[in-house]
Amino acid sequence: MTFNAAALLLLILGLALIGWLAGRARSAMLAGRAGRKLHSRPQYHGWYVALWLFAPAAIFLAVWTSASPALITNQVLTTPAAESLPAFGFERGAILSDARSVAQGQQAAVRLPAAAPLVKPYAEATAHYAWIGIAAMLALALAGGAYAFTRIRPEFRARTRVERIVMLLLLLASLVAILTTFGIVLSLLFESLRFFSLVPVSELLFGTYWNPQSGAPVADTFGGIPLFWGTVLIGAIIAMLVAIPIGMMSAVYLTQYAAPRVRRWVKPCLEILAGVPTVVYGYFAALTVAPALRNFAVMLGVPNASTESALAAGIVMGVMIIPFVSSMADDSINAVPQAMRDGSLALGATPNETIRQVLIPAALPGVMGGILLAVSRAIGETMIVVMAAGLSANLTANPFASVTTVTAQIVKLLTGDQEFDSAKTLAAFALGLVLFLVTLLLNIVALRIVKKYREAYE
Amino acid sequence: MNRDTAPTDWNAPAMQSRIARRYAAERRFKALGLGAVLLSGLFLAFLLFVMVGNGARGFTYTHVAVPIDFKATPLTVDASRLDDPDADQVIANAGLSDIVAFAAGEALGEGGSDVISENAWKEVRTAIKADPDLLTGKTVFELPASSRIDIAAKEGAKGELGARVAALKANGRLSTGIHWPFFRNADATDPAVAGIWGALKGSVLTIVIAFLIAFPTGVLAALYLEEYAPKNRWTDLIEVSINNLAAVPSIIFGLLALAVFINWFGLCQASALVGGLTLALMTMPVIVIAARNAIKAVPPSIRDAALGVGASPVQVVFHHVLPLALPGILTGTIIGMARALGETAPLLLIGMRAFIGDVPNGICSPSTVLPMQIFLWSDEVDRGFVEKTSAAIIVLLILLLSMNALAIYLRNKFEKRW
Amino acid sequence: MTQDDLTIADPKMKAEGVDVFYGDKQAIKDVSIDVGTDLVTAFIGPSGCGKSTFLRSLNRMNDTVASARVTGRITLDGEDIYAPSMDVVQLRARVGMVFQKPNPFPKSIYDNVAYGPRIHGLAAAKADLDSIVERALVRAGLWDEVKDRLGESGTALSGGQQQRLCIARAIAVDPEVILMDEPCSALDPIATAKIEELIHELRGKYAIVIVTHNMQQAARVSQRTAFFHLGTLVEYGKTTDIFTNPKQDRTKDYITGRYG
Repeated sequence: MTFNAAALLLLILGLALIGWLAGRARSAMLAGRAGRKLHSRPQYHGWYVALWLFAPAAIFLAVWTSASPALITNQVLTTPAAESLPAFGFERGAILSDARSVAQGQQAAVRLPAAAPLVKPYAEATAHYAWIGIAAMLALALAGGAYAFTRIRPEFRARTRVERIVMLLLLLASLVAILTTFGIVLSLLFESLRFFSLVPVSELLFGTYWNPQSGAPVADTFGGIPLFWGTVLIGAIIAMLVAIPIGMMSAVYLTQYAAPRVRRWVKPCLEILAGVPTVVYGYFAALTVAPALRNFAVMLGVPNASTESALAAGIVMGVMIIPFVSSMADDSINAVPQAMRDGSLALGATPNETIRQVLIPAALPGVMGGILLAVSRAIGETMIVVMAAGLSANLTANPFASVTTVTAQIVKLLTGDQEFDSAKTLAAFALGLVLFLVTLLLNIVALRIVKKYREAYE
Repeated sequence: MNRDTAPTDWNAPAMQSRIARRYAAERRFKALGLGAVLLSGLFLAFLLFVMVGNGARGFTYTHVAVPIDFKATPLTVDASRLDDPDADQVIANAGLSDIVAFAAGEALGEGGSDVISENAWKEVRTAIKADPDLLTGKTVFELPASSRIDIAAKEGAKGELGARVAALKANGRLSTGIHWPFFRNADATDPAVAGIWGALKGSVLTIVIAFLIAFPTGVLAALYLEEYAPKNRWTDLIEVSINNLAAVPSIIFGLLALAVFINWFGLCQASALVGGLTLALMTMPVIVIAARNAIKAVPPSIRDAALGVGASPVQVVFHHVLPLALPGILTGTIIGMARALGETAPLLLIGMRAFIGDVPNGICSPSTVLPMQIFLWSDEVDRGFVEKTSAAIIVLLILLLSMNALAIYLRNKFEKRW
Repeated sequence: MTQDDLTIADPKMKAEGVDVFYGDKQAIKDVSIDVGTDLVTAFIGPSGCGKSTFLRSLNRMNDTVASARVTGRITLDGEDIYAPSMDVVQLRARVGMVFQKPNPFPKSIYDNVAYGPRIHGLAAAKADLDSIVERALVRAGLWDEVKDRLGESGTALSGGQQQRLCIARAIAVDPEVILMDEPCSALDPIATAKIEELIHELRGKYAIVIVTHNMQQAARVSQRTAFFHLGTLVEYGKTTDIFTNPKQDRTKDYITGRYG
């Protein structure tokens, strides 16, 4: 006997359906007998019963599913068979999980001999708690359904009740966004504060040497400047040097010169470019672009040319951002009133004079906002830099050399085998906090600018 | 005319050459614009070309015909145990790999066992389980070649290896065909048996979970914000949160998931469940924004009409506004889901980068996703994985492109101008 | 249509048998008209009658609409403006235009006026440009109001001032003809009066064509009036004749307010 949450969920859904039908039928019958008009149509009475039946039981189910494994394990540990277990550590967990798998039928036989005596207690405990859980859940469901069922009267305002619950649901859904934001801020802040109790804030922000080691934090190995510089070099300089001119000129060509038919074909192509996953760009950068650039650099005689170069990552990231810049510029240029363009053309300006001297200056705030958003996206991009830029924290302006970025280091710090509390792990959260704050700032400023600009022409 | 200045002489040579220069600048500028568009297109074409060029070979594999005579070298295994759940273990313990290596040596001469993949015996095992009668006779098995031989056969090779492959080809031992294990298996260290099925299934589980959470939540939140939310501080806070979340780097969501779902709630690490939850949080703001735009596009006159015949505000929204906005919402959702399907960075942090050799059998079992498989294979040293990586990329791109095409189709089909 | 007593000896612009199409739709049918050098010509007619469309074909602004097509012959000083040899940039510099809604560029007042002269290279030195700007603003009657704040943005001016700025911007290129497309429709009565006064002053310096659906305005500012209806030119004559003694019934119905 195991506690299968999915099957039980189906069970209470079925019960809710019965409740719905019963509620609907009863309200219709009562109305017919009393010869009175119902306040709410029968299906609202049905929904009222179904909700009372389903919601408490479903909440209980969720709580019980997450709590019962711990209860089961506790009961198993009180049995005599558990006394021979190692006191703690990996082995203890492995034995327990092995016994659990067998007891719950996921595995035919135990892999670890030590787990064998525990299988029976586990099966007993599982069945014990499963019975308790199922009984409690059914009791809740039936109690809720019965309560709702007895309240059905012709004058009962079932629709108002049901709608109030729907509104509550809508409000809860929109609170998820706030919860997520708070979750991000709190988890980053909490872990970062633990990090800053080991390493001073000033070192992370202004230190110039980055080489975190496992174990106790060594002074002066958590200097973030090389990472910040790498991030800026790749995301804000090289990528933008690629994305801004190409994206802007594409937008100008598509909005001002291209025939509508061309635009209909080219825009989806640009969208495809935006839809390619970053891991594909990263692979492409590492496999094709980086070796080509390295050969080129060696030909030029550049020192420190590496197959993991800032340039390869930056160029490919720039290509990834092109559609983004282009669509932002497209929107901004389209938002400039046609009258501006006509005014300039009527003075005898050529299209390119009109674009460069009237349209782009008029669209500039919108374009700037778009570029800030693009920068924010570029510095938060992870896979391309992890795969193509490398992990060595160099403070260099040589684009052919290997640099690293904040995101690449977060990945590196968190994918080794270390304790969750080590300074290395906590450093990832501190870097995450810096990244979050910077991108947040960029986003807020950019969204402000774009909003203001849109309002200016409305 | 009583002008107080002389009229401009447009035909003066200086003016004419100035105009010619302006037109030249115009032509240059236009060419620059066209160049920019072409450059983006060219890059896309180049990327696809490289991936398809590398990846097409990843779907095929070289097989070696090896006869195995189980009468000469019997596999002592109880036929009745072949249906047991642990039959794999039983057959392996009976020494099938040695028998297969021996047969390869017999058939292909010295070093024959290096020609076939070291996991080739597993293919034999699968065949035996399907048809135990094989154990009583002599059968020619098409076994996967070792990665070295496979590459040499497909790309050509020089020296000793080249001669070896040429000889095998001359004997008619080698054949190249579609490599089904690639679609059937999970990850492995040997390119001969590594497949994408595990990652694909992980991706599907993850995306389904993300959709089941993000879609209802996103649509309900959008309905609340567009239709009911009072204009106050709280509403502003919700709006700012959503707009910012849509632009927060994805890796931050990975940090959130690591701290909250794994370390705090203790949910199963590296599982489709946690991956789906993470991607749901990431996708929800995108869905909210798309849904709000779609809801906004429904004209107020429809709401007024419904309210006018006595519908309650909730009925107005669920009977009229939501059905009309649904195509737009779905379009945005599909695009958001496609983005989630291609996402790697946040999943790296919740442990999904671990090597997982089994196909996941539930939302809590360790699994990986397709983009992560691409990332993992791109790091492999074995050259056989280069084409596997590109092949996996092709599969991923086909999935994503069909999702996007569906979204564009929906948009064009249901796009209404009010 | 009657044109007996109206022959202008040396018309600045002349249209003969002009049709304008937007895609398959014909917006202007067979319009012939002369624009006199020293005169203000008004185009009147109900909304959608094609008067603005016809105006825009006089400096080829219809070229900017992809689906628009113009047939027939329009000449400027005897030169066909739709001939391949005609340079549209030069044409528009010679035939300036003022739009319905004031559309100053989001630049300073000075840069707005200097924009045309700069792109056409009409000023050799900064001092020349200054004097062109000053002269244009003086002519547009705006100089006294803005001379101390030439660096401020043109969009910060009031609606009437913005429209005069746009007129100054057109004048600065030293055009021969100025086309005005309902220049007062977005302005209040005081600003409208100022613009009308300005048109009086500019008359004789430039050939002026003004589109308006305000008949009183046409009567006040123009010497010639053309009445358009449903894409055709119904009647063209001296303004006084059109308003006091229209020859066509449709014209009479319009000016007496039966429709419009």
